[in-house]
Amino acid sequence: MVDFWKRYRRNRAAVFGLVVIILIIIMALTASLFYPNDPFRLMGKPLSGPLTNGFLLGSDSLGRDVASGIVHGAKTSLLIGFVATIVSVFIGIFFGAFAGYFGGRIDDILMRVTEIFQTIPSFIFAILLVAIMKPSIVSIVIAIAVVSWPGVARLVRGEFLALKNREFVQACHTLGMSDFRIMLREILPNCLSPIIVVGSLMVATAILIESGLAFLGLGDPNIMSWGFLIGAGRTMLRSAWWVCTFPGVAILITVLAINLIGEGLNDALNPRLKERQ
Amino acid sequence: MKKLLTTILVAGSCLLGGAAAQAGKSGGTLSFLVQPEPPTLASYVSTSGPIGLVMPKVYEGLFDYDNDGTMVPILAESYDMSADGKTVTFKLRKGVKWHDGKPFTSADVKFTVMDVLKKVHPRGPNSFREVSSIDTPDAHTAVFNLKKPAPYMMRSFSAYESPMVPKHLLEGKDIKDAPLKNKPVGTGPFKFVEWKKGQYIRLDKNKDYWQEGLPYLDRIVGRFIPDASTRTAAMENGEVLYAAYNAIPNIDAVRLKDRKDIDVTTDGYSMINPMALIEFNTKEGAFVDPAIRRAISTAIDRRFMIDTIFFGYGKPATSALSSNFKATNLHASMPNYPEKGDKAAANAILDKAGYKKDGNGVRLKAVLDIIPYGEDWRRAGEYLKQAMGDIGIQLELRYEDVPTWLKRVYHRYDFEMNVNYFYQLPDPVLGVHRHYGTDQIRKGTHFVNSSRYSNPKLDALLDSGAGEPDAAKRTAKYKEIQQILAEDMPVVNLFELEFLVVYNTKLKGVYGSAMGAYGSFREGYLDD
Repeated sequence: MVDFWKRYRRNRAAVFGLVVIILIIIMALTASLFYPNDPFRLMGKPLSGPLTNGFLLGSDSLGRDVASGIVHGAKTSLLIGFVATIVSVFIGIFFGAFAGYFGGRIDDILMRVTEIFQTIPSFIFAILLVAIMKPSIVSIVIAIAVVSWPGVARLVRGEFLALKNREFVQACHTLGMSDFRIMLREILPNCLSPIIVVGSLMVATAILIESGLAFLGLGDPNIMSWGFLIGAGRTMLRSAWWVCTFPGVAILITVLAINLIGEGLNDALNPRLKERQ
Repeated sequence: MKKLLTTILVAGSCLLGGAAAQAGKSGGTLSFLVQPEPPTLASYVSTSGPIGLVMPKVYEGLFDYDNDGTMVPILAESYDMSADGKTVTFKLRKGVKWHDGKPFTSADVKFTVMDVLKKVHPRGPNSFREVSSIDTPDAHTAVFNLKKPAPYMMRSFSAYESPMVPKHLLEGKDIKDAPLKNKPVGTGPFKFVEWKKGQYIRLDKNKDYWQEGLPYLDRIVGRFIPDASTRTAAMENGEVLYAAYNAIPNIDAVRLKDRKDIDVTTDGYSMINPMALIEFNTKEGAFVDPAIRRAISTAIDRRFMIDTIFFGYGKPATSALSSNFKATNLHASMPNYPEKGDKAAANAILDKAGYKKDGNGVRLKAVLDIIPYGEDWRRAGEYLKQAMGDIGIQLELRYEDVPTWLKRVYHRYDFEMNVNYFYQLPDPVLGVHRHYGTDQIRKGTHFVNSSRYSNPKLDALLDSGAGEPDAAKRTAKYKEIQQILAEDMPVVNLFELEFLVVYNTKLKGVYGSAMGAYGSFREGYLDD
């Protein structure tokens, strides 16, 4: 672990990303301390600019505080990002592991299914799913998970294909270990690092998809998120720029930070880099 | 060859006709905004707004109405009302053909009114409630026999209100579901050509239109652009020339008004008389008790909604009837309609009715459905959620697409509280009775009494008020109606909408009809 941190630390940008994300998480957790009111609450004069009428970042068309929306929305955006990623990583591992380990007919079937999902443009597919299920936080998580697992599945399958013929796996076979145990205990831990790297980047994509959906009016209308703020402000972008801009910046910073972390993890976990030391 | 020759002749006569009328220039394509996309094209089944934007160009009514309210003969050349008001004889225009070439006759009128409008139209049963039978002594005469005089009926012959539909394509079929619903065949100035789902509806000039020289335009394209800022951009760069019913959000309309090539008007809605409102499910769910509904009406800051969401275009409602009915002395201001909202009074009503707040300040929870007609309504829903939260009613918002929402509210009654707007039209009988009458609880018919409110006393008043010839007595009856409704509140009126038409000044000739965007556009032309 210490070793890992040493390697990670070498990438300055990655450390910066980590700090930013930790700050954002702290902000999300302490949202109610700074802004105890419901972020949907009408707090004052509508369309006040930043730093006027007691609004740090201005108010939107109904007089809701944009700063409060950003702080409270961080929770939703991060939550959706992490939960959707975890769900899709699990689906991806399931498909990829079975396809890679067993090969043959099972591989064919699972990979064809994966390809079907891969051929549908993912954002449009997500829109379709949310529209069918009626916009709610659960349906959005499902939609994001459903469109993002195929990448993980292909990655895991590749790793399993490469590892399943290695000596340690064959040794396990001779010891009479069951297939599931070999997959779970022996092969999977050995391909965790690429999964972690891909997963970290998926969090960023998930946040972007959620914002995109909310922007198009397909967000959960009862939950504050960054996408909701942008969606509510985009019709007045030309007369009240602050309503869209600040949540947009929040998304930009978060996604950038997560990408930097992903990069850092890749450096730290990449075995070839390890050998170079 | 022969075909070519006829085409030339027709084109020639069109040109001549255009010159004779000396008004417009022939040719050109008009693109206008249709928002949202209509669920079907059956304007004889649904009065849903987007259908009204498209179909009056294809189907025609017996009359149109100009901005002063004067009747303009369309499919009828004239009418004659007997002295007792119980017989109305229409002389129909000769030589009118359906787009499929069949002649338009009095049989079509009889079929349309008796078998279509009176049965499946949302407002038809009301407009034509007194019509007991229609005689057709010849192909161009239709005699309406009424049980009682119904002067208000004469206000409902526009193409939007009462489109004349072809008997030969509907008779013997399931009227609500006949193929005609998405392949309309009318008598109007434009023929239906194609509906590309998600993109546009295309109507082409009817070259055999009964009035020579009209229409001027070669083509009308109704575009569906789901995103409000894209709609505004399309208007700005001249891609679309006409946008009504707030397809361009007010915030942008106010800005576009300053441009030289774009103008804004509130004309074209006088026959429509729109009212924003909340419908309640009075049979099941959270709002069965009228006290809660009164409290809700009392709590809402109507002025705030108008000023912030609709940029000042609108008037706070003061009763079940629009203040536009002051002209006919039918409107009376009622209690429970404070302009700026009175949350203390609303809380007091709820306390008195015995709805206690729990630890979180919540008295009851419910779901608020919102009319899916654009951003403004979402903001209205978000405002209501906040305002209701202050009086202990915790709302969850629900947005759906148009067909799902219509099914939920008008087919399944699976709602508790629904933000909507209704047209009160030029007479309460046409636009208001349908909210409240027991006979207007019609499952599967859109924009009628979805509250399922039923009050025999009110029914009797509505019934006698409708045909009351004496003005003073009618005023008294409608006052009593408004009192009952202010007490029971099956529907809470929010504010009278003032819709805008945003148009490119290049487009001329479409502003004369009181129907506005629901007009035929037959005299519209492009002047570069």
